[in-house]
Amino acid sequence: MTTLPFMRPKFTGSRFENHTIPLELLGELTVFEEMLVEVAKWAYLRDHPDRKRSPRGFTEGISIRLSGVEDGSAIPVLVIAIASLELFPTDAQEYFEKARDSIVKAVHAASTDGNITQFLPEKALGFFDRIGRGLRDGEALEFHLPNETAVARLTKETRRKLLFASSDLQELSEEITLRGYISEVDQADMTFEVQLLDGGKRKAPLGSQHLDTILEAFAGYKTGTRIELQGIGRFNRKGKLLNLDSVEHISLLDPLDLSARLEEISSLKHGWLEGEGLAPPREGLLWLTRTYESHIPDDCPFPYAYPTPDGGVRLEWDLGTSESSLEVDLDGHTAYWHSLDHSSGTELSRSINLDKPNEWKWLLERIAELRGGSV
Amino acid sequence: MNATTLLHRQVNPAWIQSGRVTSQAFKPTAKDNRRLSVYDGDKINAADAWQHYTGSLCFSSAGVITVRVDECQSLELESESDPTPFPEHAVIIFGEFSNAETEKKAKQLKAFALARGWQFQAETDTK
Repeated sequence: MTTLPFMRPKFTGSRFENHTIPLELLGELTVFEEMLVEVAKWAYLRDHPDRKRSPRGFTEGISIRLSGVEDGSAIPVLVIAIASLELFPTDAQEYFEKARDSIVKAVHAASTDGNITQFLPEKALGFFDRIGRGLRDGEALEFHLPNETAVARLTKETRRKLLFASSDLQELSEEITLRGYISEVDQADMTFEVQLLDGGKRKAPLGSQHLDTILEAFAGYKTGTRIELQGIGRFNRKGKLLNLDSVEHISLLDPLDLSARLEEISSLKHGWLEGEGLAPPREGLLWLTRTYESHIPDDCPFPYAYPTPDGGVRLEWDLGTSESSLEVDLDGHTAYWHSLDHSSGTELSRSINLDKPNEWKWLLERIAELRGGSV
Repeated sequence: MNATTLLHRQVNPAWIQSGRVTSQAFKPTAKDNRRLSVYDGDKINAADAWQHYTGSLCFSSAGVITVRVDECQSLELESESDPTPFPEHAVIIFGEFSNAETEKKAKQLKAFALARGWQFQAETDTK
């Protein structure tokens, strides 16, 4: 067997900085090989218009293999492995390389608003539904353009463009994390329905490994039991979630899970309170979720969370005989703390700058005190 | 209105989480001008107050919790009938209190109301 250098795409983004590649993304490279085969056949037929099909066994004895992962974010080194001992390149090898170049040029066209279908047939674009699906915001898979210094970047955005460049494709799949309630379970069809926090309902396949969790969440539907689900969602061209193709992880959420509650609050519209309440800004809610999770340890009791009339959020804790509140200004990142011990009448109030870690430390100490413990 | 008059307060659905009501329910908003709107229990009961609030005024309410005039007085809060918007309208008057004082009184009013329990609750899931 002979192996020859084929390509060295580069994963960029914080997940790849330690020069490793998550297995889920490595798996997508196998789809890339499937795509190469189909595009190679298409390229062959394009160059041989007299033929109706590619030669029998066209791609037999030839495959793409991973020979290593190099530094530089993370670079999977792909080689082409050829079983034959012939000295000269086979047709298949030539067309694998043509296919590679076509794919890279199509990705580049997507990132430069060029004509994608100039480089790839529409039917081949469907492979991108399974290539690049695991890329997250800020991440990319970069390819060097043949004979150029420019780089083609496959990102969440360019992947969407590649898929929707095909007039046949009306939907795409993406990784998704969502929270909601289990409103329906069909054990005959092994499906369930998840009711999102905005009230919408979506169907999902029910794997036997998730059955117990789903049934428990379903039993708690009326009392507000929520789940967090990670899987593959199917979206239409407008980005609307249609259903779930697969479910990888499901977990029951704490009834007071703050991120789920803030997501629920994000669905409020202006005028929610007697026609005048301002809806909290989505960016502000995301900031609060992130900053809270980064400063408050898991063993700290979740606060209750409520919208305020002026577009803020108010966190409240019932600890011992005390009731405490933290009214948060989502734009200014400031807050007002007030605690009242109902039995003694003792109270404490203070303004807090939530951009300062030591202010969060102060808050954590107050919570610990009220719980009757130490930080 | 007298010391035992009940004062019914509507609770917005967003102000309930897992069955717990925020003390904001008894904290005047900026538009309230330190006068917290309630229904005068001498003129209307909790269920009818909810019906009026959601039906005639077309506002959203998950139910009604209630304090008494003398409970407000114990916190140095006066209350009075204010029939301008509609005949059963009344107000609990928050004076020139500081932020902390207003917070304290809101929490104490809520404690009074919760000790009494819901006076009316719309039929909804608890989630």
